[in-house]
Amino acid sequence: MTNFNLDAFVADLESLRSEVEQALSEVSDVESLETARVVFSGAKNGRLKAIQKGLGKLGREDKPVGGKQFNAIKKIIESLFVEASARMKSASKDAKAIEQVDVTLPGSPIRFGSVHPITQTIRRVSSIMSKLGFEVVDGPEVEDQWHNFEALAIPNEHPARDPLDNFYIHVANSDRPVLLRSQTSTVQIRVMEHRKPPLRIVSLGRVYRPDTADATHYPMFHQVEGLLIEPGTTMAHLKSVLRSFASSFLGGDVRVRFRPSFFPFTEPSVEVDMEWNGRWIEMGGAGMVDPSVLQSVGYDPDEVCGFAFGLGVERIAARRFGVADIRDFYRNDIRFLEQFHDRGQA
Amino acid sequence: MIVSLDWLSEYVDLPEVDVLTERLLLSGLNHESTKNVGVDTAIDLEVTSNRPDCLGHIGVAREVSVLFQRPLKIPRASITGPEASHPFSVAIDATDMCPFYTARLIRGVTVGPSPDWLVRRLEAVGVASVNNVVDITNYVMLECGQPLHAFDLSSLHGDNIIVRRARQGESFVAINHKEYELTSEMCVISDSKQPVAIAGVMGGAETEISTETTDVLIESAQFAPLPVRSAARALVLGSPSSYRFERGPDPAAVEWASCRAVELILDLAGGTFAAPAFQAGSLDSSQATIDLRMHRVEQVLGVSIPKQRQREILQSLGFVEHEPGADVIRWLAPTWRRDCTREIDLVEEVARVEGYDCVPENIPITAVPVQRSPRERMVRIVSESCVAAGFCEAMTRSVVGEKIEELSSPWGCTPALVCSPPLVQGADRLRRTLLPSLLDARSNSLSSGSSHGDLFEIAHCYLSRENDVLEDTTPIEEPLLLALVTGGDFFHGKGFAAAIFERLGLYEWSSAEKPIAHTDVEFGLTYHPFESAVLQAGRSAEILFHRSGEKSRRIGVVGEFSADVMKMCGLDRDSVGIELRLDGLEFTTMYEPTLFSLSSFPSIDRDMNLVVDEAISWASICAAIESTQCDALESIRLGQIWRDAERLGKGKKSVVVSIRLRSFKETLSAEQANAFVDAMVNSCQDRVGAALRG
Repeated sequence: MTNFNLDAFVADLESLRSEVEQALSEVSDVESLETARVVFSGAKNGRLKAIQKGLGKLGREDKPVGGKQFNAIKKIIESLFVEASARMKSASKDAKAIEQVDVTLPGSPIRFGSVHPITQTIRRVSSIMSKLGFEVVDGPEVEDQWHNFEALAIPNEHPARDPLDNFYIHVANSDRPVLLRSQTSTVQIRVMEHRKPPLRIVSLGRVYRPDTADATHYPMFHQVEGLLIEPGTTMAHLKSVLRSFASSFLGGDVRVRFRPSFFPFTEPSVEVDMEWNGRWIEMGGAGMVDPSVLQSVGYDPDEVCGFAFGLGVERIAARRFGVADIRDFYRNDIRFLEQFHDRGQA
Repeated sequence: MIVSLDWLSEYVDLPEVDVLTERLLLSGLNHESTKNVGVDTAIDLEVTSNRPDCLGHIGVAREVSVLFQRPLKIPRASITGPEASHPFSVAIDATDMCPFYTARLIRGVTVGPSPDWLVRRLEAVGVASVNNVVDITNYVMLECGQPLHAFDLSSLHGDNIIVRRARQGESFVAINHKEYELTSEMCVISDSKQPVAIAGVMGGAETEISTETTDVLIESAQFAPLPVRSAARALVLGSPSSYRFERGPDPAAVEWASCRAVELILDLAGGTFAAPAFQAGSLDSSQATIDLRMHRVEQVLGVSIPKQRQREILQSLGFVEHEPGADVIRWLAPTWRRDCTREIDLVEEVARVEGYDCVPENIPITAVPVQRSPRERMVRIVSESCVAAGFCEAMTRSVVGEKIEELSSPWGCTPALVCSPPLVQGADRLRRTLLPSLLDARSNSLSSGSSHGDLFEIAHCYLSRENDVLEDTTPIEEPLLLALVTGGDFFHGKGFAAAIFERLGLYEWSSAEKPIAHTDVEFGLTYHPFESAVLQAGRSAEILFHRSGEKSRRIGVVGEFSADVMKMCGLDRDSVGIELRLDGLEFTTMYEPTLFSLSSFPSIDRDMNLVVDEAISWASICAAIESTQCDALESIRLGQIWRDAERLGKGKKSVVVSIRLRSFKETLSAEQANAFVDAMVNSCQDRVGAALRG
């Protein structure tokens, strides 16, 4: 009797195993696999659970053999399910790989913005100048007459001070006339008033002059101005620094040339040209800082000297980016702005 | 200054035109263009404002003679005539405006066409021929730079000329037959009845030379630059004469030009000179003496120029060795070079004549280490963040129209400053916020068919200082602003604002007090409802900056644009604006990121579903949670907010708060986590009246 029970128990186990093998060979997806799992090895009403109950009915002497058999078959069935599950997973992967995409369809849109071409130009100039030891400084755009004119050796009767040539500002609580600065040299005066030589600075920013807007003029524009004050400075230093700058900006070994000019705050004063594609192009104005400017900030012109130069940012940017009308820089049309992606030069 | 080469060659032998213009270009007379006029060639030279001597052919010829070392031939101007007992006199009533005045009288002149050579020369330099007398005055001015004027003697009232200040409101009809109203800042030449010329600017219609004229009075005078300039400017009457007087002609030319003109008139129009000249005042012809240290040239230029060569250059330019010396030479400047008064002026003269090509261009420059300033770094950080987020940088005008400026500014309530003249037509207000300008640019971009309208700008605005003005500062404050405009709603905007602030290391706090005792961050931000004309009330916020020991201050606003502003800019798409005040935040760049060590223990997430009154803010819930000082609190996140009057009650909302807990010391047990969360729930009950739901 007992033997029969044990044999039947083992036979049940064996047939369960073949049923599982059969069922698993038929499952085709994760869902049917799960259904099979519930049927065969579900924790509550699974077939394996039912057979396990038969284990308790075996005779005492049969129990160790029956338990061993049960555990062996249980392990096999479990591993069959693991195998099947792995098969299902890789099957679903295969199915996906087969799904082909039109690689010419557009990708999900990612948009970067852009830095204004004027800002890019300023950054490039100041980055080159910083390698030559010049630090960037800034100062107020609304200036008094001392910093915009007098300290720069532009006396009261000078034509540059004409009310029609400047944007003067009415201020209620002050009797000192102020104006929108017409050059960034004002910042250099402010720095010199507070610091002692040696100095190497670049001042940059917006400046304002009442010009009628056209392709090459705008009443608001940008300047970059450099100043170097060190004992023993000569025009040869000025020329060498500007040549370094031009070579770095344009690439290659660029020649520069000085043409005599006139600015109230420098003497000697020159226009600076650089040779570009076989032509001399105007780069800006420069000169040795006028002794009266040094005096006005409390320096002794016999002790220290230096040079200054100024560049028109719009002119450089227009040439660099092929912009024929500088008013385009201030129209703020995104179709214009997004064309000028930073080339990583500064 | 247009120069006729035919004319110029009368004073100096000329080289080839290209050689000539190239050399002039490199020594201070910038060559603009060359034009063939008949058999003559005209070259256009740009003359800087310090060189009035080159506003005449003789001055240019002198430059040529110096540069090419060729002799200069200046015609003599000498005249004689019978003493005339004409009862005429000149007087000066305003010597500050006119130091010296002369008039010469020629009787019996035949006014008529000029000879061909004169017509041709004037035409070559772009001056139309009028008649022989007028042409001669123009010719002499273009020859030596001293402007002249010719009066028809018979149309002058009385027998005297007075140079005086114009009377305020006095009227004057100029040669162009237009009437002008004068001011007391102007100087006039008056006969006994009325002004007959605006000194140095333009003559009058009534006394001009006509074919009936027989007696001519030639004026040659020294006028002060400022009154000439302000009259020419105020009346919009700039002339070749005023252009020269503004710069100051050679004092010695006053006499020479007068004689030269009389000589030419006698020669070409006949008549007799009634000697002597009538004159008043005294000629201001001071000449500077300047000491030049011989080593100075090398000190400035960085290249040595032999002493002999320096002397040669200065002498050829007309400087006279006043006191020779081995190391220092005292020079006397020529009358036509009143721009030269100092040693540095002589250095420049030597340099420009010798040519700057001699200055070396490859001397080594010593290296100096430089760092970007905190402000530069801050601007770079925010600019890069904006670009990464898809915004394009714009540059809008600093000065805007009244309509835009009427809108309020988040940065100050003093009225906008007004500039004169307007920057462009209709724009004379210095802006106090960038947002309207940027919104306008967004509108334009969208309507022009751009793919988006996301813009940012970093610029200053301008505010009157309310406090007393310090000596060293201007009465205007210039906050540095970052503004952004984009689409979407308030939360979209706040997201950008918060992200940019986070790049600067500034995070939102749940209250103005430092919320968590154990962090070392000493500053933070809070958001509060904000009202202005630009941003929609109820849908915008101000951002306050807090730092222990400092007064809290506004450093930003963010919100949806108000319907009025949207309409003003013609926008119909949802738009949101952000404006952040960057100045004062430079310090944030000083914090180097240092490693925040990570806990190796797992976190536990818990949700709290709190029911609170509608008026309870998210920040106050966070503050209540933080007040438990739980050092395992890693983050508080918003799950969801929902409202249901039936299930929650009217005026209530359900806020699901997701809490993440993590310890640095141990793996938290469920019991520990429960205890923390219970404390947080209790705190929310006490502080914001929250009830735990479900």
